[in-house]
Formats: sequence, C-alpha cells, structure tokens
Amino acid sequence: MKKRLAFMGILCVLVMSTAAYAAGPLATAEVAVGKVLDVLRDPKFKGPEAKQAKTERLRVIYKDMFDEIEFSRRTLARNWNRFSPSERAEFVDLFEQVLEKAYLDKILDYSNEKIVFYQENMLSDKQAEILSKIVTSSKEIPIFYRMILKDGKWKVYDVVVENMSLVQNYRAQFNDILGTDNPPEQLLVILRKKVKEH
Amino acid sequence: MKKAGLILTLSVFLLVWVCPHAGANDGPHETAPGESAGWLADAGGRSSSEASNIGRQESLRQAAAAPAADPFSEDYVEEEDEVADLHAEEKVTIADPIEPFNRAMGAFNDRMYFWVLKPVALGYNEVVPEPARISAKNFFDNLGFPARFLSCLLQADFSGAGTEAGRFAINTLWGLGGLLDPAGSETLNLQKQDVDLGQTLGVYGVGHGFYIVWPVYGPSSPRDTLTNIGDQFLYPPSYIEPWYAWFGVWAYEKVNAASFRIGEYEAVKSAAIDPYVAIRDGYIQYRAKSVKARKEKSLLFRDAAGETRKE
Repeated sequence: MKKRLAFMGILCVLVMSTAAYAAGPLATAEVAVGKVLDVLRDPKFKGPEAKQAKTERLRVIYKDMFDEIEFSRRTLARNWNRFSPSERAEFVDLFEQVLEKAYLDKILDYSNEKIVFYQENMLSDKQAEILSKIVTSSKEIPIFYRMILKDGKWKVYDVVVENMSLVQNYRAQFNDILGTDNPPEQLLVILRKKVKEH
Repeated sequence: MKKAGLILTLSVFLLVWVCPHAGANDGPHETAPGESAGWLADAGGRSSSEASNIGRQESLRQAAAAPAADPFSEDYVEEEDEVADLHAEEKVTIADPIEPFNRAMGAFNDRMYFWVLKPVALGYNEVVPEPARISAKNFFDNLGFPARFLSCLLQADFSGAGTEAGRFAINTLWGLGGLLDPAGSETLNLQKQDVDLGQTLGVYGVGHGFYIVWPVYGPSSPRDTLTNIGDQFLYPPSYIEPWYAWFGVWAYEKVNAASFRIGEYEAVKSAAIDPYVAIRDGYIQYRAKSVKARKEKSLLFRDAAGETRKE
C-alpha cells in the first residue's frame, strides 16, 4: 500500500512538472505542423489507398493541436450560452467533421511548399498569436495561429488565413442562421445535412 | 502633358485639404476603445438582450448541474474574446440592405466561375507553363504602378511611394518591361504595395456604405466601386482601343490571375455553412485588415494605429 502511494506520488510530481515545463506557443505550433509535414512527406504513404492511413495519423495530430471546444465556443459566441451541454457536444462533433472534410483535401494536396514560423506575439500570459507563412513559387500565404494555454499546454483556437479569421467568419454565418432567438436545433439540422452530403 | 500637371495639382490639393480634416475627425475616433463596446451592444440588438440574458441564466443553471470537469458546460464569456481579437476594431460588419439581389448575383457569379472561368483557366494552365504565367502577372502588376503610387502618396505613405517608384523603374528597365520582378528579389526586396484608392478613402475614415455583389466583378461596396473606377482610369490597359481589343486584354488578365487561384473558391464554398455570408464576411474582414495595415504605414495615422495596438 505504502509503495503504491509512493509510486502515485512520484507519478504526480512527474506529471505536474511536465505540465509546468510546457513548450512555448511558437514551439508547440511549429512541432505540431512539423509532425503533419512528416506524415505528408512519408514515402510509406504514397498512392491513393494510403489516404485513409494518412488521415488517421493526421487526426491524432490535430486533435492534440486544436482545442475544438474553445474554437466552437468562440464561433458560436453569445449563442453558445443558449445551447444545452448535449447540444454543445453534438455541435462540436458536427463542426469538427465539417472542418475536416473541407480542409483535409487541401492539406493532403501539400507538395513541398516551404512553411516558415517567424513570430510569436504574446497577447497575455495565456494567449498568443503565432505568425507563419506558406511560401510558393507565385505567392506567400500568411497563416496565423491564435493559441491559448490550458492545463499547461498551448492549443490552437483560431486560424487566420490571409488575414481572415476562421472564428470570425463562422461566427458571421452562425449569427446569420441563429439570429437572436432561433432554436439551436435549426443550426444543428443544417450541420447534420452538411456532414451527410459529402 | 497638361493633363498630368492637372492630376498632380489635384492630388496635392486633395492631400493638403483632406489631412487636417481627417486628423480632426478621425484621431479620437480611432483611439476610442469604447466604440467597439457600442457596436457590440448594437449587434446584439437592444430588444434581444433581455432574451439572451434569460438564455444565459438558464444555461448557467444547467452548467452548475453538470459535473465541473465537463468542458462543454463552460460558458462563453464576452471579455475573453476581447483579448483574443487583439484589436476591438477588428469586429467588422457591413449593412446588406439588398441581400436578395446580392444573393442572386452571387449565384450568377458562381455559375460564371464553374461554367466559364474555371474551364478556360484550366485549359490555359495546361498549355502555358507556370513561369510564363508568372511573367504575365508581373507585367500587369507593373502597369498598376500609377494607381498604387498615387494611393501611397495620398495616404502619406512616402516610403511605400518610394518603393513603388523604385520597383517600376527597376522592373521596367531591367525586368524586360515588367515581365520579370528583379525588384522583388531577396537582394533588393522592394515588395509590391497592397494599395488602392478604396483603401485610401478607408484610411481617411470613409466607410463602405453597404454590401453589393456585382455580376462578374464580385463583392464590393459603393466606396470600393467608385474608387475602383478611379483605379481603372489610372490603369494604362483601360485606354486600349478598339473596345474588343481592350476586352481581350481584360479577359486574358482575368484568366491568367485565376490560373493561380483555381481551387480556392471551391475550398471556401465547401468549408462554408452559408457561402454567401462566408464570402461577405471574408470580403469585409480582408478590406478592414488591409486598411489597418495601410494606416500603420501612413505618416498621418501611424501614431493612432500604434496606440490602438498597445491597448
């Protein structure tokens, strides 16, 4: 019993110290994107039949990189508070599927463009904006990651592509659909349909 | 020659006349953080604030009932978003009184893209290799110099104007009349300024008015429509005669530009829940950010822009 307690104690200390020693936001984002690129470049996953395997590997990485609940809450903004916890859970799940379907092909299209992380702006102790860009032969595409520190880990809650914030863009759409007093169900019906139609 | 002199005097006159006015009206306007709070209240709608309050209380009660560790039970709090958005002025919207017309035009443009522009651009992509397409883009970009140069001057961004003048001289003389972009190379690093007359008015505090979707041309507003006509007057290819030669050049430029962006519209459309609203918001966000970026470069507005950044 004592041994077990001691073991638990050591485990606790270890876990807590890794949390306190979390990497900075820029390093976190850069490492996560680096992992994504490793999967995309992996010669093992060539050809169309490897798409499924790649997708699964990528899913693990972005689940770790993104805080999808934070992302969902900010896109729904005031309307989030009108959703019940179960409606929220369904919304987060559906929204994630919509995003995955929309952006996965774009990510899988990657063909060795250079990605540069070049600046870290701390907005507060717990929030940061990381600036990066994709460099192609004809243009540069700026991509900013907005990150939040939660339980000792930096997670992405908004992506700003070419100066356009995803959170703000979806918020405009959801506000338009929900108005001020349309029931949450109305949006969920649209999302369910959108997930199915692909 | 007379014409050029007239334009120069006119622009100098505009510059002198507009500056003190803009300074007086826009200085405090830009630095007031209270503005955004006012907007927020407006957006929520006064009549609905009560209803949303009740909704919030309800969900709070539900949140209290749920286990504390459940992340779904955490409510949305307005303040946390203020920090996240960095600048309060980022929260931009646009009035859309002619939405049915705009949606119809959006649907028309959607068909034009899939039935005309995309197939043509894809075929063009097959035939013309990328370096040649980039050269064509450089050539048209170089001809856009007068409009960008004048806009930089009007915005009191003299370093931008200098960059543009340097680019035009270097790319015209050493870049085979603008086909190449030696000025934009890493050694010289004179980058094209993202600037137009619409932004110039925006810098001086002129708003969009409302949202319009034009057939073929796409998302715009009264402000950007008028200034785009001005930009066209400063764009040499606009003066090509006869009209069908002009149209050929215009169409070619559009196809060439589209050849770099195939797939982007499709991506926006498939990611959107309501593509019309997504594009409207994208347009307005993009314009607002570029006006803000221009303000930070302007000698007249740099301080005001810097102050809002610190807040």
